[in-house]
Parts: sequence; structure tokens; C-alpha cells
Amino acid sequence: MRNNHRSIVTMLAMAFACAMMIVFSSLMEGFVAGSELNIVSMNTGDIQIHQPSYLDDPDIYQQIEQSLALVTAIRQAGFKASERMFAYGLMASDQSSSGVQLRGIDLQYETSVTDINQHIQRGTWLAKSDPHGVVIGKKLARLLDVSVGSELIFVGQTADGYMANDRFHVNGILKSVSSAIDNTGVIMSNLILQDLISLPDGAHEITIMRTDRSTDLALAVATIDDIVTDDLEILNWQQLMPVISQFLETAQIQTLIMLLFTYIAVASVVLNAMLMSVFERIHQFGIMKALGVRPWQLIRIIYTETFIQTLIASLLGLFIGTGITWYFEKNGLDLSSMSDGFSFSGLALDPIWYATLSIKSLFVPVVFLFVIAALAVLYPALKAAVIRPVDAIHYH
Amino acid sequence: MSHKLLVITLLASQLIFMTLGTAETDSSEQILRVKALLNEVDDLWRGNSSYAITSMQVKTEHYTRTMRMEGWSKGKEHTLFRIMEPLREKGTATLKSGNHIYTYLPKTDRTIKLTTGMMMGSWMGSHLTNDDLVKEARLEDDYEATISFEGERNGQDIIEFTLIPKLDAAVVWGKVTLTILAVSHTPVVEYYFDEDMLLTRTISFTDIKMLGGRERPSVLKVVPADKPDEYTQFIYEQLKFDLELKDRIFSLSNLKKR
Repeated sequence: MRNNHRSIVTMLAMAFACAMMIVFSSLMEGFVAGSELNIVSMNTGDIQIHQPSYLDDPDIYQQIEQSLALVTAIRQAGFKASERMFAYGLMASDQSSSGVQLRGIDLQYETSVTDINQHIQRGTWLAKSDPHGVVIGKKLARLLDVSVGSELIFVGQTADGYMANDRFHVNGILKSVSSAIDNTGVIMSNLILQDLISLPDGAHEITIMRTDRSTDLALAVATIDDIVTDDLEILNWQQLMPVISQFLETAQIQTLIMLLFTYIAVASVVLNAMLMSVFERIHQFGIMKALGVRPWQLIRIIYTETFIQTLIASLLGLFIGTGITWYFEKNGLDLSSMSDGFSFSGLALDPIWYATLSIKSLFVPVVFLFVIAALAVLYPALKAAVIRPVDAIHYH
Repeated sequence: MSHKLLVITLLASQLIFMTLGTAETDSSEQILRVKALLNEVDDLWRGNSSYAITSMQVKTEHYTRTMRMEGWSKGKEHTLFRIMEPLREKGTATLKSGNHIYTYLPKTDRTIKLTTGMMMGSWMGSHLTNDDLVKEARLEDDYEATISFEGERNGQDIIEFTLIPKLDAAVVWGKVTLTILAVSHTPVVEYYFDEDMLLTRTISFTDIKMLGGRERPSVLKVVPADKPDEYTQFIYEQLKFDLELKDRIFSLSNLKKR
């Protein structure tokens, strides 16, 4: 390491790339984890049961018969499960009105399946003591121009053809969950909804969550399938949200491609630096060889040099990358100046993007850096190893 | 919200539009005849003002229900319906004022203005949409009318009109046909077609009796083409024309009165 400047610049370049990749992988990991969390833990659960044609035609008459017995059996099999009912109609505020989807949830069990009750932006979650308090989506709240405490009037149709109408008030406004809930979601107790639209017993949807989410999803579906005897449709969240599920799978590949491109740039810097340092010292290498140093020993010297540089660079990169990621994990990357929430294919994301620091998002960029450095230095090292001492000594 | 009144006003406005359309394009004898006939059918239903008591029966796959209501209308722009029975919905009222529809809900003591998003929704669980209520006043601008058949059909001497929407008209129908009796000029049946010219619904006019001083069909039956077993039927019990109705009747404050 004769040339300190060059070594330092090379190490800094490697450290910078490593740090950036750690931040990028963590952000991507945070995005994937956040999306899956939003979909599964806020809304779909792992598995859902419906009447076979319900998802295509969400008709209030397409109820699951004996859903209470079914959901009890599923709970006894070791799953977390909850019933849901849906209805459609018009919700009006003083200012405006909008078409809404009423989501009647089981107050006792819904929160064991999803975490939507912790996803409140303003106000509070549903309370048993306040049956006419509802929780609504954030865009719906803006559309109706309501805030916590505002009065809402629902007008719709009962299952027996009469006019359904009642007065509600806003108990809470949700953070971004999914485009459907954000734009039209009104959450209330399923008992209130059942009464409002005179619907007989029977849920439209049963949402199921595995107790341990690291277990095999397909196995869980098979277990549920054994419990369900009627002709009902059982779908996992990937089937319920196919576009998002595929997108999340490719997100990891996107990270790797990004890593590859960044590191190819790093490799050219390392290659250039090592080539220069080898040719600069080719005279000395020639003498060393003339003195009996073996080619593999020369290779070892050059690799040791590179290894030390990479080690210092990766430690520095880890330090900087972890620092930045830690900041984004705590505070998030605020994109609200660009847009107030992103959504595609029913998935809605908060404008604040949080990173997730994991062993994988730290480890992969570092390992990749060592591999790339080792590959980049291969050519200069071989060059030094195979050069004839006579040529090297006379090299200018 | 008397559906019958609605349907009648609908029909009437179509007739008017027909006459207007024809008057604009031609002045031949045939055109004048179309105009005269349609005016006559129009006169059957439309006065300067009207009052009606009707009952509405709705039959769907999932329920059958009946309700009675009374309704007032003045011109094309003002219509008010109030439910009399059943008790569960008594006092529920709908006011159509221009292109706006307001509904008063006694249970919550609130008045709601329907937004565009709700227009294609069912009106009171029937086979008519809120849009059917609003659209009537615009029909005359939206269609061209011609006589498409004249002679005997099913043992009756009839005249059939075909109404085609004008090119720039924002309407949901692709075509409407109206059949009237050749002698009495009483409407018999009306067919509504979608943009692909497939039949979407049929409105039939039956049970001719004395109503409001002359013979008119007293039963209007709406049958959706995709669900032939379902229907919404309006039966006129009372119909009066050209009453002295104050504008105040069609105000938001009057909407709440029971």
C-alpha cells in the first residue's frame, strides 16, 4: 500500500457502495415487510373462506351457513379466526355523501386475527360500549369532510327490501390500509351491521391467521380444507392478492440486480486501483521473483492487501450503512411531499417509508463486496504472478 | 317516491322529446302526426300539477314487499313522494328538484342529498334506479322519435314508436320503443334497450280504468330482462290533475312533514 491516497479513495468507494447497498436493501426489506404486513395483518389474514362466487359478486345473500360453528371448529384446530359481514350503501355527512362498504367485524375476535385496531391515525378503535361509533378509511374521511366525532348517516337497503338507515358517528380514522378500505371502508360491529340490514346469521367471510406465521401456509390451507365440509372457497393471501404477492417476490430480485450494478462500478474502481498498484511495483515484484518468491506467494500478498482494504471498507460501510438505516428505521423516509400515500392493485402504502434492518440486509452487501473485490483483483494478481523476473526488472 | 308517478313522468317526457325532435327535423304530415299522437299520450299523464296515491309491489328472488305512497308533482322539475305504509318506513320522503334528489329519513331525522355515485343504485329496493327519477326532465333533449310500426299485432290495432338517442345525448339506453293502442292512444308497453340493443327492461301498462277524469292504465309493471321472475309494479289508487300546488310543497322543510 504504497500510495495512501489511492488506497484510501478505493476503500472509501467500496465503503460508500457497501453503505448505500445496506440502506437500499433495508429499505426494500422494509417495503416488502410493510406491504405484506399491510395486506395480511391489516386486512386479508393468511387464509379466507367465502361462498365460491362471493369474491366475483359480493352479494349480501351469499352467506356462509353455520359460519359460527365453522369458525369455532377452526379455532379449536389451533388457528386464529374471525367472522366478517359486508354491506354496501350510501354514507352521508353534513357536507357530502359517498358510496361505502360496511365491514361488520367480530369485536371479540377480529383483533386476534388482524392488527387493524392498532392502525388508527386519529381517534380510537371500536368500543362495545359505543355501538354506533364507526372507524372509517382515511380517504373516505377526507371525501366526506369528517373528523373524529362527526355524525354520519347511512342509507342502504335491508336484506328484505326495506330502506336501511341509521345514524353513526366517527370513532376513529384509519391509516392507509388498502385502496378499498381507504376509499370506502366503514368498520363497525357485525351485530350492528346485521341489525341494520336485517341480515340473517352467517358471515360473508371468515378470516384466518396462523398462530405461528413461520409454519407452512399450504399445510395450513390443507388443515382448514379438512375442517370445511361445505362447498366453500378457501384461498390464501397470495391467491387473494396475486399481483402484490408476485410483486413482493420480485422485490428481492430487484434488490440483487441493484446490488450487482452498483458493485460492477465498485469492481472497476478496485480493478483499476489494484492494476495501478501492481504495475507501479512490478519492478519490485520482478526482484522478489528473482529472489525466489513463488507466484502463489505473490498472489497471496496482493490478495491479503485487497482483503485488508475490503475489510476496512466493509467495516466502514457497515458503520455508515447501519447508521443511516437505523435513522430510516426510526424516522422513516418521508415521501409525503411527493404524494400522500401510494397505492397499486389494492395495496396502499403510507407516504413514510420505513427501513427494516436485518441480518440479511447487512450481510448480503458485505459478502457481495468481498466476492466482487476478489474477482476484480484476480487479473492484476495473476499478471504479477506470471510475469517473468527479467521483464519485470526491466519494466519501466 | 311514487314509482308510478315517476314512470309516468318518464313516459311523458319521452313523448315530449319525440315531438320536439320531429318538429326540428321535418314538417311533413307524418312528423306532425307523430307529434300530435305523442302529445296526446303525454296529456294522458301530465298536467301542470298532479297528486297520486299509489302502491308499489316489489318482487325479487329474496323478498316481496308492498308499500303505499302519495306523491305530488308540479311541472317537470318538482316531484315529492312520501311513504304511507308500511309503518316501518312511514314518513320517508323523496324530493326531486331539478337534477337533485333529496331523501328524508324519519328514523334518523335527517335529509340526505343523493350524489352522482348513487344514481344507478336501486330506488327503495325497486327495479328503478335513482337515475330514472332524475333523467326524465332531460329525455326530450336526448331522443328522436319515429313511428316504426302501425297495424295489427297480437289482435290489437297499435302504433309503435321508436326512440333513438341523439348522438351527443348522455343517456343509458340505446333505444326505447313505445306501443300505444291505435284507437284510444292508450300506452300498452314500453321496451328499453341497452347500448348493444339488448332488451334490458319492459314496462307494461294494464288495467285501464277511470282515473283523474278519463280512462288510463292503472297498473305499470317493470320487469328486468335478466330476471324475468322479478318485477316492480305500481298500482294507481287515486290520480288528480291540475291542482293548486304551492312551490312551498316542494321545499326541503316540507320534506320532513309527516
